[in-house]
Amino acid sequence: MSTSLKMVIVLTLIATISGAMLSSWDNFTMPRIQEHRQRELVAAISDVLPEHDHYDEVVVRELTLYVGKNEGNEPLGIAFQATGSGFQGKISMMVGVEPDFSKLTGITILEQIETPGLGTKIVEDRSNKVNPFWFSDQFRSVHTYPEITVVKNKKPERVTEIQAITGATISSKSIVKIINDTVQKARSEYQKFLDEVS
Amino acid sequence: MKLFIIFISAAVVNNFVFTYFLGICPFVGVSKKLSSAVSMGMSVTFVMTISAGVTWLIYHLILVPFHIEILEYVSFILVIASLVQLVEMFVRKISKPLYDALGIYLPLITTNCTILGLALFSILRNYSFVESLIFGIGAGAGFTLALVIMAGIREELELANVPKYFRGAGITMIVAGSLALAFMGFAGLISI
Amino acid sequence: MAKKKIPITHEFIKGFWKENPVLISLLGLCPTLAVSNSAINGVAMGLATTFVVICSSTMISLLRKMIPHQVRIASFIVIIATFVTIADRFLAAFYPDISKELGPYVPLIVVNCLILGRQEAFASKNNLGRSLLDALGMGLGFLSVLFVLGSIREILGSGTWLTFQVLGDGFHHWIVMILPPGAFLTLGLLIGLSNWINDKRAKA
Repeated sequence: MSTSLKMVIVLTLIATISGAMLSSWDNFTMPRIQEHRQRELVAAISDVLPEHDHYDEVVVRELTLYVGKNEGNEPLGIAFQATGSGFQGKISMMVGVEPDFSKLTGITILEQIETPGLGTKIVEDRSNKVNPFWFSDQFRSVHTYPEITVVKNKKPERVTEIQAITGATISSKSIVKIINDTVQKARSEYQKFLDEVS
Repeated sequence: MKLFIIFISAAVVNNFVFTYFLGICPFVGVSKKLSSAVSMGMSVTFVMTISAGVTWLIYHLILVPFHIEILEYVSFILVIASLVQLVEMFVRKISKPLYDALGIYLPLITTNCTILGLALFSILRNYSFVESLIFGIGAGAGFTLALVIMAGIREELELANVPKYFRGAGITMIVAGSLALAFMGFAGLISI
Repeated sequence: MAKKKIPITHEFIKGFWKENPVLISLLGLCPTLAVSNSAINGVAMGLATTFVVICSSTMISLLRKMIPHQVRIASFIVIIATFVTIADRFLAAFYPDISKELGPYVPLIVVNCLILGRQEAFASKNNLGRSLLDALGMGLGFLSVLFVLGSIREILGSGTWLTFQVLGDGFHHWIVMILPPGAFLTLGLLIGLSNWINDKRAKA
C-alpha cells in the first residue's frame, strides 16, 4: 500500500473514531450540562425577585427579561442579567427590579474575578460578622431614579445611595455603573415591548 | 473605542503571560537573548492573529450552524497546527531573511498555549470577527512585551551571582513573579 | 542507542522525581501555575491531565505500528484533543463547580507539552504495558507537584487546606499567593528546592 494512501486511510479512521466518540459523549453529557445551567438560572432569579409563583421569559432584542408573576399572572418583579467591566475583569450579575423599574429588588453576583479579600467582598465580606452579604443586600431596596450613586466611608443618606466597600471603591462603582446602564436599557426595552403588545 | 480597550486589556492589563499564565514554556526557554525574544514574539503575534480569525470563522460558520460545538478543541488545534505549517512554508517562499529570523521558532508555536488560549477566550467572550483579530494582535503584543522584558533581565542575570540551585528555571520563575506583581499595577487602568 | 533492559517499574517511578514533568522537564507550566491556587483545584487538574495522558498513550501505543511517520503529530493531536474534550465535558456535566474553577485551562491540556511529549518519546515506540506505566507515572508526578503547589498557595493565601480552615483568624492571609505572582514565586522556590535535593542525592 502506498504511503500516501495509508496516510489518508489512517487519518480518516482516527478522525471517524474520534467523531463517533465525541458525538455520543455529547449526547450523554449535554442534557446534564443544560440542567445545571437551568438550575443556576432559576436560583439566581429566585434570589433577586420577591417570592413568585412562576416566571415568564420575555426577549426584547438582545435582552432576556424574566418576569416573575403570582398565580393571578400579575407581574411581581423583573429579573435580567447585567454584565460589564469590573476592576480586574468581567462582572456578571442578575438584577431584580420592581415591575415599574422604580426600585431594585435585589442583585446576585454570577461571575467576577476581583481582587481576593477586597473586591471579592462584593460577594461575601467575611470581616463583617453581622452580615457578610451586606454589600449586595443594600440593593434590595435602593431606588433607581435618576440613578444609583455610591458614597464612601459613611452611611447612605438618600434612597438612591449605596455604600462602597472600603478599599474596593472601583469594584463597588463598577457594579453600580453596570446596574444603572442595564436598568435604563431594560426599562426602555420593556416599555417598548408593553407598547407593542397592547 | 471598544477595540482599543480590548487591545490594551490584552496587551497590558490582562497580559497573557502574567495574568493568564499562557505561553510560559517558550517564555522560559526562549527569553535568553533579546533578539530571539523579539523574533519569537513577532512570529507568535503573526500566527495568533491569523488563527484568531480562522478559528472564529470555523466556530461561527461551521460548528455552530451544525451543532457540532463539541468538536471545538479538536478542530481548533488541527487548524492551528496546519496554520503553523502553512505560515512556515509561506514565510520561507516570500522572504528568506525573514524566515531565517523567525523560522526555527515557528514549529514550537503549535504547542504554545497562547494560540489555543486566545481562540478559546474569544469564543468564551463572544467577540465579533474584528474584535477577535484585535484581541489577537493585543495578546501577541503583550506576549512579545513580556518576552522582551524577560530577555533583557535574563541577559543581565547571566552576569549576576545567582544562587546555585536557582540558576536557570528557578530564577526565571522568581523574576517572572516580580514582573507579574508589577503588571498587577495596571489593574483598573481601563473602565468601560 | 543500546537497548538496555529497563525494569518495568522504573517506567512508573521515573515520572515522580527523576523525570518529573514540571520540576525537571519544565513541561505543562501553563496549567500548573493557573489552577494551583488551591489543593483541590490542583488535584482536579492533575486527575484530568492524568486521564488524558493515560487514554492517549493507550490508544497511540496500540496504534503505533499503523500510524505512518509523516502524519504522526496530526494523529497524536486529534487523539489527545478528543480525550481532552471528553474530560472537559465530564467535569462540566458531573462536577460543574470544579469545571468553573478550572475554566478554560482544561481544554488547554491539549497543548500541554507533557502529553504530546510522552506520545512522541514513549507511547509511539513502546508496548502497551510500558506505555501505560509511563503515562500513569508522569500523570501522577504532575499531579503531585500541582497538589504541593496548590496546598502551599492555599494555606498561605486563604488560610485553608482542602477547604478546612487550618490557620486561625489571626493569620493575615498572603493574598499574593493566590494571585499570579505567588504562583511564579512558589514554583521558582520549589524548583530551586528540587535542584538542591537532587544535588544532595548525587553527592550521597
